[in-house]
Amino acid sequence: MSNVEPLTDDLNPVSPALPQRASLLTAPAEAALFQQLKRNLLTNTLIDALRRSRLRVSLATILTLFLWAGLLVLFYAGFDFLEDAIPEPATHDETVRVVYGIFFASLTVMLVISTAIIVYSGLYCSDEATFLLTTPIRDERVFLHKFQQGMLFSSWGFLLLGSPMLVAYGIVARAPWFYYIALIPFMAAFVYIPGSLGAILCLLVVRYLPKNRMQALMVGAGFAALCGLWLVWSLFASRNSELLTPDWFLEMISRLRSSENRLFPSWWLSTGLLEAARSGWEDESERTALVESVMFLAVTSSNALVLHHLAVWIAGWTYRTGYSGLISEHPTRRKLSVAWMDRAVEWLLRPLNPKLRMLIIKDLRLFRRDPVQWTQFLIFFGLLGLYFLNTRRLSYDVNYTSWVNMISFLNLAVVGLILSTFTTRFIFPMISLEGRRFWILGRLPVGRDMILWSKYLFAAIGSLLPCTTLIVLSDLMLGVSPMIVWIHMLACVLLCSGLSGIAVGLGAKMPDLRDDSPSRIAAGFGGTLNLVLSAAFIVILVLMMTVPCHFYLLSMQQEGQPGMTLNEATQRNWLMAGIAGGCLLGVTATALPMAIGIGAFRKLEA
Amino acid sequence: MIEFRNVSRTYGRKLAVDGLDLTIRDGELFAFLGPNGAGKTTSIKMLVGLLRPSSGELRVCGFDVVKESQQANSLLGYIPDEPYLYDKLSGREFLLFVAGMFGLASRAAEERVTREIARFDLASFVDDLCESYSHGMKQRVALAGALLHDPEVLVLDEPTVGLDPRSVRLIKDLLRARAAAGTTVFMSTHSLAIAEEIADRVGIVHQGRLRFVGTVGELRQQSERMGQASLEQMFLEMTGGLAEGASSALLTPGAGEGQL
Repeated sequence: MSNVEPLTDDLNPVSPALPQRASLLTAPAEAALFQQLKRNLLTNTLIDALRRSRLRVSLATILTLFLWAGLLVLFYAGFDFLEDAIPEPATHDETVRVVYGIFFASLTVMLVISTAIIVYSGLYCSDEATFLLTTPIRDERVFLHKFQQGMLFSSWGFLLLGSPMLVAYGIVARAPWFYYIALIPFMAAFVYIPGSLGAILCLLVVRYLPKNRMQALMVGAGFAALCGLWLVWSLFASRNSELLTPDWFLEMISRLRSSENRLFPSWWLSTGLLEAARSGWEDESERTALVESVMFLAVTSSNALVLHHLAVWIAGWTYRTGYSGLISEHPTRRKLSVAWMDRAVEWLLRPLNPKLRMLIIKDLRLFRRDPVQWTQFLIFFGLLGLYFLNTRRLSYDVNYTSWVNMISFLNLAVVGLILSTFTTRFIFPMISLEGRRFWILGRLPVGRDMILWSKYLFAAIGSLLPCTTLIVLSDLMLGVSPMIVWIHMLACVLLCSGLSGIAVGLGAKMPDLRDDSPSRIAAGFGGTLNLVLSAAFIVILVLMMTVPCHFYLLSMQQEGQPGMTLNEATQRNWLMAGIAGGCLLGVTATALPMAIGIGAFRKLEA
Repeated sequence: MIEFRNVSRTYGRKLAVDGLDLTIRDGELFAFLGPNGAGKTTSIKMLVGLLRPSSGELRVCGFDVVKESQQANSLLGYIPDEPYLYDKLSGREFLLFVAGMFGLASRAAEERVTREIARFDLASFVDDLCESYSHGMKQRVALAGALLHDPEVLVLDEPTVGLDPRSVRLIKDLLRARAAAGTTVFMSTHSLAIAEEIADRVGIVHQGRLRFVGTVGELRQQSERMGQASLEQMFLEMTGGLAEGASSALLTPGAGEGQL
């Protein structure tokens, strides 16, 4: 050991004697400390967001309010329709109870699964949990801290979807003020039940099945999916009555009675809220309803508290052991080889420049080795595919061509909007992430323009096949005319090209070289702008290409009929102009952002 | 004081730490040396309560880290190689939170935080959000946090990696000063030079087994006995040496062509 002069005298501890042993915090003191932490984090995050991302915050707030208001109007119309369609109070109440029951029962299953996944990631994969486990904080507190975060993440969707429905019912049912006040504790208590169950499930699976946790999760999710499919099948298979008739309502109610088990928290919630909606002080029945409502609130809250305490108790007993077991798993090393997919793509891209081809294959390899990317892609496009497959029923029930055409146009816009979320989340951050590895790419004998064109081709070609397949599926199921199918195919090609051009071009123009998280890059100003521009492009393109088509088809239907207002020749001209305008817009949305992006990327310093 | 009593830890079939027996006294600065994958970080994770030993017993100031992890952690200050700070807290808020976790009352916490800000020269950035800090700044804030409660045992995992020479020097001085004041310091490092400069004793670990424990002087004597020209050669000999031909392959132009 060598003697070195200390850099500063301050390095010597205050007292040469060892300090007294630090005292351990009591549970209430820990709770207060973590509340202070959350307050600080929330305040700083809000101040920072308002200072740096005002556009994003404003946009998110406006869109959320817009969505909430839209859902409120939609649910109001639905409950109003129910009141008109079923004037008999007993059947009406039973119908609402069934609607509530099925809604909350589905949410229960979703909340159990989503909380289990979020709590798993918070407790076992986060740096914060690792840090807290090395401090003298009790394991139960660490669990509680991460569990509360997980609950917030998993239940905000329920609050956003559930609250307008419940408020809308209150307005239609002319519920007293007590109903609106009771909504908050009812919803809070309800979400804690599936949330706690999800957390308990997560703790026990990690503790006792650490090696098979993914299989356990898949089995659980598969079981839930099977239950969902069975429910859908039991509702819609061999329907005997005509859609939206009183007989249909009665048939649906009888089929949905399975969700009304009195041991389900969803039943306590729906019954409690329905009682609250008819409660009051005027007569005996209103007072009884009030008491019943309070009783169901007590049942829901007490169960929530019991499960919450059970989860905390199980965490104290299993968390640290489970954590230790999980991180001591020996990582499996996979020998990665060139997959058939890469070879197939390489063969298909033979006409391209070999360097360009290699860059595209590199991105494809990164995509298929990142389950976050392809599973989200698969889930969203899979769900859309399921929805489109089910639109066949609509074409039979609603025998009105204009509506069918309108739905096909909306489906086109939906495919575009889903694609835009993917280009924002995965394609836009690619340049920023590539910029961080620029010392590799920047020194290769590959032009910078080629790097951007490879990203564009990867995104455009990669999205073309799933999008056109979905659109053709939707059109075939709806049975629209061949002309619409061809126009949709063209629009789809333009959408894939334009959205890829916008994402790659803006990604190069506004790179975030400091961040290494693609989700944070996508959530920044550039990502938000990308999403807004993409949405505007989709709306304009779809309107330009589909509205003239719609009127042209109407004019063809009206031809020869008395009182016709649309001239076929004029509408044909509008149709041609719309298609030409759409093509021009698609090409501009591709070329302009790419030109701007290439210019900026050439100047980017490594 | 730290006591490893025949501690082993497996990762699946792999034995990461094999029968580690080691006692580090109060006021001793112990450097744990070894190549990548030797078992250093596993030993540290067991010491701070993140990993449970597969067998054996581990005590910090007499507290069993498995059965009394809360008490053991209250006496520890731990700085991992990549310290965690809350991005959306300022350095000062983070330090106050850490002080709170170690049970310091608000007045005492304020005083200690002020003391550490001065000690680590944090004043110029301590009120900025941690997300804006460089690696060196984060390391200094983490060190300040680990020392707020004047721990009896200080555990550091590769504390000098990625730091500039001034910060490295600051850490070396600090560790010596803490050890002189009676704190037990347990540090893992790849650097033989740092261990040689500041450690009272070194432990060389390879493939989970402790190959050598003693002072740098004793290591040097053993090196001479074994006919090794330098401590580095001695270290390489104990930890498996360079793979045969690796040096020559790297140094000869074109030697590894087609393989690398």
